[in-house]
Formats: sequence, C-alpha cells, structure tokens
Amino acid sequence: MRNIFLIAKREFLERVRSKVFRVTTVLVPFGVLLVATGGNLVAKKAGGLSHLAIASNNAALATTMKEQLAASSHPPQSVQIVSPATPQARTQLTNELTAGKLDGFLWITGKPGQTRPDATYYTRNGSDLFSQSLLQNNLGRAALRQALISRGISPPEAQSLVKPIKITTLQLKSGQAVKTNVERSYMGIYALVVLLYGVVLIYGTNMARSIADEKSSRIFEVLLSSAPADNLMMGKLLGVGGSALLQVAIWIAITLAFAGTHLAAQIGVNGLSSLGINLAELVYFVVYFVLGFFLYSAFSAALGSTLNSSQEVQQFAFFIASPLIVSVMLMAYVMSHPNSLASTVLSLFPPFTPIIMYLRICSQTPPWWQIGLSIALLAGAIWGMIWIAARIYRIGILMYGKRPTLPEILRWLKYS
Amino acid sequence: MSDVVALDSISKSYDQKVAVHDLSLTIESGSMFGLLGPNGAGKTSSIRMIVGITMPDSGQVNLFGRRFHRDSLKRVGYLPEERGLYKKMVVMDQLIFMGQLRGLTESVATQRAKSWCDRFDILDSTSKKTEELSKGMQQKIQFISTIMHEPDFIIMDEPFSGLDPVNTSLLQDTLVELKNKGKAILFSTHRMDQVEKLCDTICLVNKGEAVLSGTMREVKSRYPRNRVVLQYEGSNAFLNFPGIADAKNYPGSAEIKLKPGASAQDLLHLAAAHATIYKFELAEPSLEEIFIETVGGRIDA
Repeated sequence: MRNIFLIAKREFLERVRSKVFRVTTVLVPFGVLLVATGGNLVAKKAGGLSHLAIASNNAALATTMKEQLAASSHPPQSVQIVSPATPQARTQLTNELTAGKLDGFLWITGKPGQTRPDATYYTRNGSDLFSQSLLQNNLGRAALRQALISRGISPPEAQSLVKPIKITTLQLKSGQAVKTNVERSYMGIYALVVLLYGVVLIYGTNMARSIADEKSSRIFEVLLSSAPADNLMMGKLLGVGGSALLQVAIWIAITLAFAGTHLAAQIGVNGLSSLGINLAELVYFVVYFVLGFFLYSAFSAALGSTLNSSQEVQQFAFFIASPLIVSVMLMAYVMSHPNSLASTVLSLFPPFTPIIMYLRICSQTPPWWQIGLSIALLAGAIWGMIWIAARIYRIGILMYGKRPTLPEILRWLKYS
Repeated sequence: MSDVVALDSISKSYDQKVAVHDLSLTIESGSMFGLLGPNGAGKTSSIRMIVGITMPDSGQVNLFGRRFHRDSLKRVGYLPEERGLYKKMVVMDQLIFMGQLRGLTESVATQRAKSWCDRFDILDSTSKKTEELSKGMQQKIQFISTIMHEPDFIIMDEPFSGLDPVNTSLLQDTLVELKNKGKAILFSTHRMDQVEKLCDTICLVNKGEAVLSGTMREVKSRYPRNRVVLQYEGSNAFLNFPGIADAKNYPGSAEIKLKPGASAQDLLHLAAAHATIYKFELAEPSLEEIFIETVGGRIDA
C-alpha cells in the first residue's frame, strides 16, 4: 500500500507541477469558451437576415409576410415593403442589394386570386440556407393566412391557425412520466463523450508514454527491485488518474462558475440544468467517467508496456480511444432501442459501458441489477487490465528491440 | 561471516534462449564479489533473479539465509547500469522518493540524502533536475540512491562508468568502506583491473554458465607464475632471451610470458646487464588474460 501511495504521489506531483498542466488547465476552458461564444456570435450574425425587402403587387400578402417574419425566431432588423412591384423597383432593389444596403429581397408574383404565389429570392449569399428556409416557411404561412381570410376567416383567427403546434415530450422514468427536454438530456451525454474522449486521449497517451519512457531508461529495474509490478502499475494509474481528475475538476469548476454568468445566458447556457442533468444523473456521470477513464488508462498502460519508445505511442493513440469511437457510433441505435437485448449486452461490455450505460440511464432507466452489474464488470475489467499491464510491463522491459507480436505478448502473460 | 546470497543451481530461459543455466554461487557478508562475463553471458539475468524482477525457472534464490521473499529486498540496494533515474525529477526529490520506496521515512531519507550529497560534493546541485547534470554527477546520485537505505547487500552493475578517476576512486573507497562495515557487495563489470583490485571472490559466467569461480587467490593459483612485468630504461636486448614465449614491448615497460620451465631469474640477470631495472614482477596471468583465455577470445565488448 505504501509503495502504491509513494508512486502515485510521485506521478501526481510530476504532472501537476509541470508547465503543460498549468497551461492546459487554464487555456482549455477559455479556449472552449472562446470558440463557443465566438461561434454563437458568428451564428447570430450569419443567421440574421438583417435588411430585407419584400416586393409584391399584393400589398396585403407582403404585409402579412412582414408580420410573420417579425414574429419568427430570427426576426430581421428591417423589412421594407415595395408595392407595386414594377421593373423600376426591381432595378432599384438590385442596386441597393449590390451596394450592400440590403441583404436580400423577395420578389413575389401572382395573378389576383391565385392562392399560391410564385416567389424569387435575390441575395448576395447563395449558401445562406438558414434564411432561405426561414423565408420559405413564413411565406407559406403568410399565403395560407391570406387564403383563410379570403374565405371569410377573421384575421386574428387566421394568424393563430397557422402557428406551429408545440409538442411536449414526457419521459417514462421508473414508471413515472417526467417532463424532459430531449435535446438537453443528450447534451449531458455528449458532454460525457467529449470529456471522456478528450481526457482518455490526453492522459491515456501520457500514461503510455511515461511507461515507454521508463522502459527506455533503466529506472524500472530499480522500481521493480523495490516494489512488485502491479503495485507500480496501480500507483502509476492512481497518480496519473489523480492529476487528470484534478484537471477535469478545475475545468468543471470554471465551467460552472461561468455557466451562471450573463455571458453564458447570452449563448443559451443557464447553469447545470441546461445540460439536462439532474443530480442522480450527475452521480452516474461521475461514476462512469472515473471508471471509464481508469479502464482506458490501464489499457494504455498495457499498450505502453509493449512499446519501446515514446515516439511509438503516437501511432497508437487512436487505437486506445477506438472503443470510445465505436460506442459513439452505437449511440443512435441504443437511443432508439434503450432496452433491447443488444443494447443491454453492449452496455455491459466494459469498454462500451461508460457511454452506452450512461446513455441508457439517461433515456430509460435500466433495471438496478444491470447498473450494478455494469459497474462491477467495469471495476473487474480495470483490475484485470492492471494485472495484464503489470505482467507485460515486467516481461516486456526485459525484451528490447523489435515490437512484440500478439502471440508473443500472450506468451509473456504466462511467464512468471 | 555468513552467506548473504546463495544461488542454488538456478536456470532461466526466454523462449528458446537459455539466459542462465544451473548457476550456483554464494556471497558472504563483508566481501566483495565480482560477477564477470562477456555481454549477453547472463550477468544481468542472474542479477534480475536475485532482486526478484524475474523468477528462476528452476533452482532457488536464497537471501539472508532464507528462501527469496520480497521483504528481504528492503535490505538490498541495486544499481543498474546507467540511467536508473527519473530524468525530469529534481535530484533531492528523487533521492527522498527512492529512500522512501525502500522503507525510509521522509525525514530520515532527507537527512541521509543531504549527508551523502555533502560527502560526494554535489550538495549545490540537489535542487536541479537530474537531466541537467553531467553523466558523472548522475552516476553519483544513482550511487547514493542505491546505498542510502543502508542495505546489507549491494549490487553494482558497472558503477564506475562515466566517472573520472577522482570520482572513481571516491566511489571505490566508499565501497571498500561499506565492505569493511560488513556489507556484501556484488560487483558486475567488464573492467578486469577494478575487479582484480577490489574483489575477494569472483565468478566468471559465459553463455549462461559459470566457467570459473572461487576466491581471487584460488582462481589465480590455478595458473603458473610465468608472467613477467618489467619496467626499465636502456636496451631492450633482453627480449631475445630464449625462454620468452611471447612479449609485448611498450615504451619503458614490457609484458613477457615465459615458456614452461624457463627461469625468470636468468631473464632478470640478462635484463639488468643491459638496462636499468625499476621494477621486476613475476606474477600469475592477469584476470584480463584469464578472462580472454577462458571465454575464448570471442567477446562482444
């Protein structure tokens, strides 16, 4: 125990005291923030159709269209109505568009009495699909309103008839219908995926690299003559893991501190609730993140023990994280069939458990025994992986030169 | 005197390669034991079995009079050949860590690390990172990390590599001092002159097997005293002496191998007649010669 603690402490301090740790601890959250905020501002600008003109001989339709746009999710700053739509008006609008005074103009034509008008949208930005769908959507509704009015429906009634109908989603959790927000609850899952993937990639390769480094020096001989290999592995895992978890904790603290601010509200983040996570899910999040992280780190350690230099680690970084990528690809299936046999089996397979089981918990809470079993299997897999890593480490270090083949590694496991 | 280490016909193979075959040896407390052999002979494999990094396939390792047990390792200090330190770690932290790993408390480890660094004249460098130090300094630090927990059995694999003569003699003196305090020391090296000077007992391994072992005196006495080392000034005409089997002539000195039955006294008379003799020594072959002769002159390094 003492050895595990000593080694863990050494690994932990070496990482926490390093410059890289300090820099990434501060820069990563601010980098993410910058991208999120910047992206949001850009999206607002790009998605915002600021100055629009609507030209039509049917002034009533144009006015209704203006009303529709004003009530939409992204209302333009100014909408200018040109009626009637004469060739001269078109020339002038074209000039204004070229001069940048307008972002675009909508040219609506149609014979009197025609309920479905024809429309052409002139713009400088042909790829602004967002504005195009906004216009298309609202023009359809505006035309429908006009048609309803002409059939004797009162204008306010016509306006309310074309409004989209909101659907409330209720989720059955342990037999109780709970109000939920589908998009938000998956935000939590994506947060887990991104966090796990990122941290595994950074600290998993870090783990593999530090072991490969030890192999290229003779420090392992000193260590092995003082402590058994599984103590070394366990200590290493706890030390590297501790530093990773500390960093993640700092990131989360910064994120939470930020989540309450005015700036956050602007980009649609409002405390923890906007991740769609309740307290129980947060506990599962932490449990599966920590266990998943340790499993992947132990896997990296085993892999690192077969390599001869830290340069080789780079080539294997993807290999370490590949089960995570597979779980991400399985997400769509599991989301739609959270309690199928396949989903159950997948969620109990340790490399997939952290993401798939968490996904199942968020969509439709699985039976307790399955959650318990998945945690037990994950813990067992971590222990087993440490045992394998320790064996490969002890034997692998004695072999220099070429990288071992899989059959050779399996044979190593048999040596004592 | 008691047996600190006793290897009882240990063997170890990796896949098809036999690393160590049926090796037996004992090391007594208060003695220095030389484990010799060409590269790949099985020296390091044997040491790894002694310190429990690997287990023998057959045979038994006994430490301090009982069958190998990890607890015994607290009384062992092992210095592997070079680079047995964390490069990025501050020297003092490193020494304290190593001391703690071998069972010292933090305060004792700190105090001993300081006193050894003071003695080895590297106290000024203890706040630097290990990689910033010269190779010789690193070797001194590794040496300290090996002995600071006051082990009763010390294993030194090429301890003097990268050291200048001043530091070599500093470390040699320290080892002799430790030996005189009753510690057993296993010394593995290619440097035959150092073995000859320091070791009481030797074992020469080749291709995983012990080919020569015993006390230095025993080993040497198996060879005839037919080597003459001669320092002189003047004519080298004595090299024509008919009893000479082989001779190497260096500026001011000559190493001569006599034919069986040839008289060294006659050679001395002849030499003294033509040159001034500063030194005339009649000896057994040097350990180096024995080594080369025994392993057949085919040495990788």
